[in-house]
Amino acid sequence: MLCHVDAAYNLARWLLGDDHDAEDAVQEANLRALKAYGGLRGDAKPWYLAIVRNASMNLIRARKRRQEMESDSEEVAMTGDRTFDPAKMTEISFDAERLRIAMDALPPEWREMIVLRELEQMSYREMSQVAGVPIGTVMSRLSRARSRLLAVLAEVPE
Amino acid sequence: MICDEARILLGAYEDGELPADRRQEVERHLRECPECAERFGRFLKLGDAIRTQLPTYRAPDSLKPAARPVRAWPVFAGGIATGAIAFLLIGLLIQRRAVPDLTSELVSDHVRSLMADHLVDVPSSDKHTVKPWFLGKVDFSPSVPDLKDHGFPLIGGRLEYVDGHQGAALVYMRAKHVINVLVLPATVEGAPASDRDGYHIRHWKIGDLGYWAVSDVAAADLAEFEKEFLAKG
Repeated sequence: MLCHVDAAYNLARWLLGDDHDAEDAVQEANLRALKAYGGLRGDAKPWYLAIVRNASMNLIRARKRRQEMESDSEEVAMTGDRTFDPAKMTEISFDAERLRIAMDALPPEWREMIVLRELEQMSYREMSQVAGVPIGTVMSRLSRARSRLLAVLAEVPE
Repeated sequence: MICDEARILLGAYEDGELPADRRQEVERHLRECPECAERFGRFLKLGDAIRTQLPTYRAPDSLKPAARPVRAWPVFAGGIATGAIAFLLIGLLIQRRAVPDLTSELVSDHVRSLMADHLVDVPSSDKHTVKPWFLGKVDFSPSVPDLKDHGFPLIGGRLEYVDGHQGAALVYMRAKHVINVLVLPATVEGAPASDRDGYHIRHWKIGDLGYWAVSDVAAADLAEFEKEFLAKG
């Protein structure tokens, strides 16, 4: 039984937003992991997910480059840096559909933190290994991701 | 603790990542500050909603190849279907990390070494080249006997990482069959002489080092290999 391939696919699927791309990314990651296995030190799961994560990010970048080349690319409008402010709180609706849309609107580097923490229950240390950034960066990206999700869900005006 | 400081730590507090003293400071602040407490409550609700409402995707069957016996794989050189074997091996390798079993690890290391480009790091049939190559790379000195006259020529050596230990792999051959000899400190437990998936494993000690030979060569040949290795090692 491939005990980490589900976690790998989950991460890739959340990062790429598409079944087919996620499958490609995991297959690519599997080949790279096989070659690099001799260098593995420590836990296999964060090591393997780091490879999956990098394969996914590469695919995202490649996709963006393709889109920029194909379209007359007007800048995609930024959603603005809404952050959660309790003073402006209205009732938040946590329904599944709106939550999913809010997640998809996050930058992938932030969305990744939510997936690893909430869906994969990884520790900050493991998350820093997967994303290849210091623990402080993990904390700040996770915190900003959560604030942004709440702000989007609460529809706080800019 | 002031609000700005508490807010920065709320996430880590929620995730159980704060040391005890900081945790208590945050708890005290939350008791005293209704604004931060409300904020914290929203974050808790968000966490619950994410965990219960968002899908956790499962890998499709195409990423989970059906189990096949290792015996079916071609043993050496040409004809290895890299892609299919990659998926099966990645499964074996990663599974192995979750359920450590030295015998499985030895067999999968052996098979993996047979894939192109990974049989030897130092290709040489001269033991005076192979043995010193390990100096500084592993913290022991393996015996590397010359067994060419007995029909077991030395092919070379490579580093191997097994069960959390940095080990040495000595590669010999018998006709067209590869014999991998993994050398680790004798304190490593496991994998007595056995057969697994069509491969034979033999195990012996010389001094304070353990040697494990893995091969699909005939069992009698591997026994002879062990005997000659011990005689000249």
